[in-house]
Amino acid sequence: MTAQSTLTPQRDGAPEPSGGSVRPRRAHRGQARTAALYLTPAGIVLVSVMAYPLYQLVQLSLYEYGQAQASGGAPLEFLGLGNYTQLLGDPRFWMVLLNTCGFAAVCVAGSLAVGITLAVLASRVRQLPRALLFLAALGAWATPAVAGSTVWLFLFDQDFGLVNEVLTGIGLTGMEGFSWTYDRFVAFALVAGEVIWCSFPFVMVTMYAGIKAIPEEMVEAASLDGASTWRTARSVLLPMLRPLLVIATIQSIIWDFKIFTQIYVMTDGGGVAGQNLVLNVYAYQEAFAGSNYGLGSAIGVVMTALLLLITVIYLRVQRGTGENA
Amino acid sequence: MRFWKTAAVVVAGALLAGCGPPQVDQGASGEDKSTGTLRVWLFDEANRDPKEEVVNAAVREFEGEHEDVTVDVRYIAVDTRSERFTGAFNDPSSAPDVAEFGNTDLASYVAAGGLAELDTMLGNWPAAQDLSESVLETARTDGKTYGVPWFTGVRALYYRTDVFEELDLDPPRTLGEIAEKARRVRAARPDMYGIATGGKYTYAMMPFIWAHGGELARGEGATWESAVDEPAARAGIEAYTELLEPDVCPPEQCAQLTGTESVQAFAGGKAAMTIGGDFNRAAVDAGAAGDHYDVVPLPGTEPGEIAPAFAGGNLLGVLRSSDRSSLAKEFIRVLAGKKYQRDMYEAMGYLPTFEDVQNQVSSEDPTVRPFVETLQAGTRFVPATPAWSEIDAQEILPTMVQRIVTEGELGPATAEAARRMNDTFRE
Amino acid sequence: MTTATRTAPTTGRRRKQLFRRPGRTLAEITTVLVAAVVAFPLYWMLLTAFKPRGQIQSTDPRPWTLSPTLENFRRVFTVNDFGRYFLNSLLVAGVVVVVSLVVSFLAAVALTRFRFRGRTVLLVMILTAQMVPVEALTIPLFFLMRSVGEVAPWFGLNHLGSLVLVHLAFSLPFAIWMLRGFVAAVPAELEEAATLDGASRFRFTWQVLFPLVAPGLVAMSVLSFIHAWNDFLFAKTFIISATENQTLPLAVLVFFKPTGNDWGAIMAGSTLMTIPVLVFFVLVQRHLVSGIAGAVKE
Repeated sequence: MTAQSTLTPQRDGAPEPSGGSVRPRRAHRGQARTAALYLTPAGIVLVSVMAYPLYQLVQLSLYEYGQAQASGGAPLEFLGLGNYTQLLGDPRFWMVLLNTCGFAAVCVAGSLAVGITLAVLASRVRQLPRALLFLAALGAWATPAVAGSTVWLFLFDQDFGLVNEVLTGIGLTGMEGFSWTYDRFVAFALVAGEVIWCSFPFVMVTMYAGIKAIPEEMVEAASLDGASTWRTARSVLLPMLRPLLVIATIQSIIWDFKIFTQIYVMTDGGGVAGQNLVLNVYAYQEAFAGSNYGLGSAIGVVMTALLLLITVIYLRVQRGTGENA
Repeated sequence: MRFWKTAAVVVAGALLAGCGPPQVDQGASGEDKSTGTLRVWLFDEANRDPKEEVVNAAVREFEGEHEDVTVDVRYIAVDTRSERFTGAFNDPSSAPDVAEFGNTDLASYVAAGGLAELDTMLGNWPAAQDLSESVLETARTDGKTYGVPWFTGVRALYYRTDVFEELDLDPPRTLGEIAEKARRVRAARPDMYGIATGGKYTYAMMPFIWAHGGELARGEGATWESAVDEPAARAGIEAYTELLEPDVCPPEQCAQLTGTESVQAFAGGKAAMTIGGDFNRAAVDAGAAGDHYDVVPLPGTEPGEIAPAFAGGNLLGVLRSSDRSSLAKEFIRVLAGKKYQRDMYEAMGYLPTFEDVQNQVSSEDPTVRPFVETLQAGTRFVPATPAWSEIDAQEILPTMVQRIVTEGELGPATAEAARRMNDTFRE
Repeated sequence: MTTATRTAPTTGRRRKQLFRRPGRTLAEITTVLVAAVVAFPLYWMLLTAFKPRGQIQSTDPRPWTLSPTLENFRRVFTVNDFGRYFLNSLLVAGVVVVVSLVVSFLAAVALTRFRFRGRTVLLVMILTAQMVPVEALTIPLFFLMRSVGEVAPWFGLNHLGSLVLVHLAFSLPFAIWMLRGFVAAVPAELEEAATLDGASRFRFTWQVLFPLVAPGLVAMSVLSFIHAWNDFLFAKTFIISATENQTLPLAVLVFFKPTGNDWGAIMAGSTLMTIPVLVFFVLVQRHLVSGIAGAVKE
């Protein structure tokens, strides 16, 4: 669909000058042509590798599409919403959905809390400690998801992990040989820890840049007026930081909602009895392990819709409170 | 805005009219080259070296007979085989020419259109006459043969003679005694699992279900109905999950164990018992427990009985997309032939599929007796339907076992497993 | 990362200051401690990578080693062909960066400096495209790459080209959006001046605009690089059997074995995977911060 719009300027040829353009019509037409030329490469890639697959995702979700169908061993069967009714009627799906939302919420809240706190902290210390903190945070941020997952797994390994050793050392003998991936919530907490570790730096860096961008005089003026720290933060800083906060939150939601690698690696594909499955891993398992591509696609559609919904709701709420303030 | 409307209509129309999801033509390649690289997939094993040696010898022999042919053998993990084969069926250019696969996966691979029929080849191969008929049956679906049986796999009970002697225990005579003795071992030796079996070790659980009179599923042809929620099957499942308790094999460690890992735990000296196949003997021999173990048939519910074992076994097949199918078939004749089956038996303990070779080895080697006894006592098979592979890949039964272990309740887990199995059967 | 702990006590410059601002000293100590905690997993990874096997498989792990060894690295390079996987990862990420740099710059220029119908629609679409959870597209992309492979094997399943394609597509929306802010920040008068000087639009774009938005390009490149370099899901799905075309994240997992995980090799592999990104990150961190801030402000 993007293809059509990308090509628009080229096809309909003569766009009328919009409003107060000072340039003559002719230059305008030239602009449209050049713009179309410049947009073509991006358009081709985005249409073929993003828009078309998105369309096909929906299409696949309406078919009975298993390995036999995919490899041409059986005829295609149009199910309509069959995959969706099967999904919605499956208690497992609801469990996975709940897992996903809960897990993402914890990760988002955690990243925001840690990131913002540290950004404030960083803005109040001198350069050396700040540089150290930023270096460490950049390190965590830069660590590939797989590497981060393996290191955390090793730190929390039940036999050779440092954490169990330290905990046993300080007197918690029950922690000897404790498995951090067996209990559902403990396993989720472990993965959430890793996720927060590698995603708070983004929040911190963004918020720090925002805090730095606030003119010093403004804060000083507020405190000279006799406003308390809390009130200064609320009435002066927060409104200025709000746009950044919105971006950081949306980014975190998008990232944490679709976590795959950490769950897959750290809980060995979804944990004991699939108790740590999240939507993405569930879709992967259904499709590529269970050869149920149709059902897997339906899960993908649900996830996409849900993510868009959450983002839109969040933006609405933000705009609403922003206007009131 | 008229342009936009038109464009939208055109696009929507094109998309709706467009064909459905893509289907790749698995049709046999028209070519049949006699030179180049022959790609072979075999399964990785707990202790692969001896297997690799025999395979390499067969490869050398084959390459010696065929000029300009190289054989490229890849070892793939059993646990990820489903993704691998899915990939191969989807992308014929990356598919192997020859592949080893479990007989339980045969029906679904055939349904996916991935395997070539081998009846003509078997007809032209004199040695095929000696293949055991019951084993050959597991290589057939809808009356056609799609694999050459490479080895038979039956599982029996491995136990540590030194530990049992030290604690003055006899090998278990009933399934119930297994749990009881395992508890006693673990009480005396807390560093050991009483028995190493895992939540993901479905083939270890099946004999428990069958010995209690239960079934995995009932039916035939196209209609199957799960039976794991019936009382008999549940009794068996309960007996099995009793082994995954802290005083036998702590669920923190054992709930995630696969068959290979269970055997590995035993071989490494971490367990007093395990359920292992004839094909696991090499791995156990090479491990810390190598000199102190013995094998008995897995007992039934009453003393003197043998629990029906799962008739496992692996086949060698030719992929339909292969453009070297004649070479592929010739390679199978070598690798699955009598000579290398015998070598493979000596190297890995793989039980041969030729009756004459089978008799020969069992008369020479007493260690194979418990397995042969198990075979003779009667074996069972998984439901012969393409759906089984999917049930397997979705880990429905392992999930059931793990749920029982973590939640401590049998009913909801077996009910859910039955429902999911039925969903899959009906698709 | 070890420096974090070593330089800890050198905070307050003067005693006087220290007494005057106890709050700040406390804050600085906390900052350093937090930095140490955050850096610790990386330190542990590095340490384990250099520890001999006996000290790794020990139930009494120590936070140092007196006998560092390259044994683990040797194992990942010989037993498992890590050199090759490293190059594969580098190739995929490198191509993605270069191509997305050019493509997204062009698109950003078109969207900011030209007027044409449908521009707003396009902008909204690009914004929406950023919200699409690309992981959900794994299934259709798998079949797309399968079809592509029949026509152009290099871009099909089991080939690195398929990974380049998907990561290129995924990095574009954000890259375009980000660069748009930078391009817009270049004053229009500059362009008019250049045009008066007789420079063609093409020359202006590449010789004036391109260097001016360099900070944005750097930030964008780093993000695209990391995205492609870190990818696990698509590498796992697309590279089915061609082990020679594996990328690093998958190769590391080979050392998780039923017979006991080879932690030394896993950590050595993880270290190899992390170092390039880390170096990249630290080198461009200033640009990165301003780049993100720039995109965000927009």
